[in-house]
Amino acid sequence: MRVLVVEDDPLVGDAVRRALAAAGFAADLVASAEAAASALHAESFDLAIVDIGLPRVSGLQFLQALRQRGTGLPVLILTARDGLEDRVHALDLGADDYLTKPFEIPELVARCRALIRRAHAVTSTRLALGSLNLDLAHREVTVDGALLDLTHREWTILECLVFNAGRIVSKERLKESVVNWSEDLTPNAIEVYVSRLRTKLGGAADIRAVRGMGYRIDAREK
Amino acid sequence: MRAKNDQAPSIRKRLLALLLPSAVVILVAGTLGDYFTAIAPFREAYDQALIDTAIAVAGRVTVRNDGRPALSLPPDAAAILRADSIDSIYIKVSAADGALVYGDADLPELPESPANPSRANVAYRGEPIRLVSYRTVAGPSIVAVSVGETLHKRDRARAAVLTTAIAVDAAELGLVLAVIWLGVRLALAPLRNVAAQIHRRSARDLAPLPLGRVPVEIRGVVDALNRLFATVTRAGSEQRRFLESAAHQLRTPLTGIQAQLELMADDETDPSRKDQLGRVLDGARRLTHTTQQLLALARSDEAATLDWKLTPVDLASVVDPVVNERIAASDAAKIDLGAEVSPADARGVSWLLAEALGNLVDNAMTYTPAGGSITIRCGDDGAPFLQVTDTGPGIPPGDRARVLDRFYRGSNAQGDGSGLGLAIVHEVAQLHGATLSIDAGPDGRGTTVSLRFPVRHGGSAQAIAAR
Repeated sequence: MRVLVVEDDPLVGDAVRRALAAAGFAADLVASAEAAASALHAESFDLAIVDIGLPRVSGLQFLQALRQRGTGLPVLILTARDGLEDRVHALDLGADDYLTKPFEIPELVARCRALIRRAHAVTSTRLALGSLNLDLAHREVTVDGALLDLTHREWTILECLVFNAGRIVSKERLKESVVNWSEDLTPNAIEVYVSRLRTKLGGAADIRAVRGMGYRIDAREK
Repeated sequence: MRAKNDQAPSIRKRLLALLLPSAVVILVAGTLGDYFTAIAPFREAYDQALIDTAIAVAGRVTVRNDGRPALSLPPDAAAILRADSIDSIYIKVSAADGALVYGDADLPELPESPANPSRANVAYRGEPIRLVSYRTVAGPSIVAVSVGETLHKRDRARAAVLTTAIAVDAAELGLVLAVIWLGVRLALAPLRNVAAQIHRRSARDLAPLPLGRVPVEIRGVVDALNRLFATVTRAGSEQRRFLESAAHQLRTPLTGIQAQLELMADDETDPSRKDQLGRVLDGARRLTHTTQQLLALARSDEAATLDWKLTPVDLASVVDPVVNERIAASDAAKIDLGAEVSPADARGVSWLLAEALGNLVDNAMTYTPAGGSITIRCGDDGAPFLQVTDTGPGIPPGDRARVLDRFYRGSNAQGDGSGLGLAIVHEVAQLHGATLSIDAGPDGRGTTVSLRFPVRHGGSAQAIAAR
């Protein structure tokens, strides 16, 4: 996985590059939009992390130019400004996600993984989370290569959770994802499926219940 | 407010105090003048009637053969002369030596004077009368004809004149006073309009006041106000630029330092160095947190000064990211973080609301021991609300008001909070017109902090109907 980091602050840029390298990504750091454009021209990347406050050409202008050329490269925007306007503006221009400084390194890495995972789910038929591997075409899950035996509903719920890994998925949304399979499904039924899923996954991933909000799946820390 | 206004100097009162007494004095003087002017012709006319009678009587004086004067007045004519339905008329004719020729012997006679006839008020038979004495030549001697009349007719006429004058002038006085009062009121109306216009404005409205209909007398004041508004607006946008720049200048290096320290601590194999790095990292995190809070506080101050647009926000949408960002931390602290969310339509700035809610949850996490729980609630029970309940030690009632102050840390405070969290919440609440209340949690344990937002027209009716 190659990640292009576009950040003019050497301290932040270096930290991001190191963190991604430690997480198993191949990260390249450039300090301006111009350098980023030529890097993208020369080589292919799976993700770009772009700071808004770049000198001369801003991160948002760079993003706009990128999308105008029709590039579907996932872009995570970094900014030191708060406020929703910037965020909405960035997402409108075609950013895939948005992170406000200061951020924690694990959060950044999790967002990068999620973005790459989603981009790959569109182009390929596989989703990965830690040691979990989902084959979307065959509706199969493997943990370290070993096949898990899941029912249709368990599979659908797991797919929905993994697709949104690191984010809370509400019970209603999980219910909607399996509603094709069942006429009447109580919220308790979701709890039952999730509890069965937890047992079947063993230690491969954590499914955490967030009281009143829903469930969230995270890769198990090494 | 009203009592205070009564103490303050008032232009209206001053104008009325200057105009009303002078108007009263002028009109009273006018009434007296009218009275004396009107009374003079009456007196003249009545006097003339007396003089005519005296002259008529004098015309009847004859001279007898012995040279003594006599009066040849038939009794019928005398009766006509004395006839008067209201007053008594007295007539006396006397010779130069004082001998009575005719009439009432005891009627006084006015002494000779350059004016002929002479007239005066005298007392006669116990009441005041008007007396005219006319001297005429009868043969070799002079006779004096005196005619007197009681004052009843004159008194009546004077009373009638006086009554009319007082009535007319009182009406005039009333009208003039009314005109003055109304005039002062109308003249001051533009002043009141300007005052009302300023009063009606939102405290955050910094648009200049229109000068079009402002009277010249207070244009200077309104000009000064407009200059002040402009200064505040300029200061506000300068502050905004400064904050944007400060946010960038502070956050970027802090992000770098914190991230580098995290990586160094991860890579470090020497336990004592790792521990050392961990403590430096902790310090960096605290610094970052306080910086974030100071920036948020400054931004919400700024948002309160400048007229920020509040847009419709479903409070439920604010809860999700706040919980998501804190799941890992609450797991690490072994605190059960949860929510009970119902739709709640309010008006607000959603990132500021998220900042406020985040600070409430962070605060709760600081004070809630392991094994405790924190619950975020939002909904609409007639008014939209956001609420955070924890099972921590609670805030003593005496501390509840003061914990909203910047940098104040309650007597139960522990950990290393900056004391800014609740101040931010307080600021954000004020900006949204929401009321912030701190109570004990259910069962009297822990703390519940609530933000209740103003009822929205339309939205709340729906919520009430739904109950």
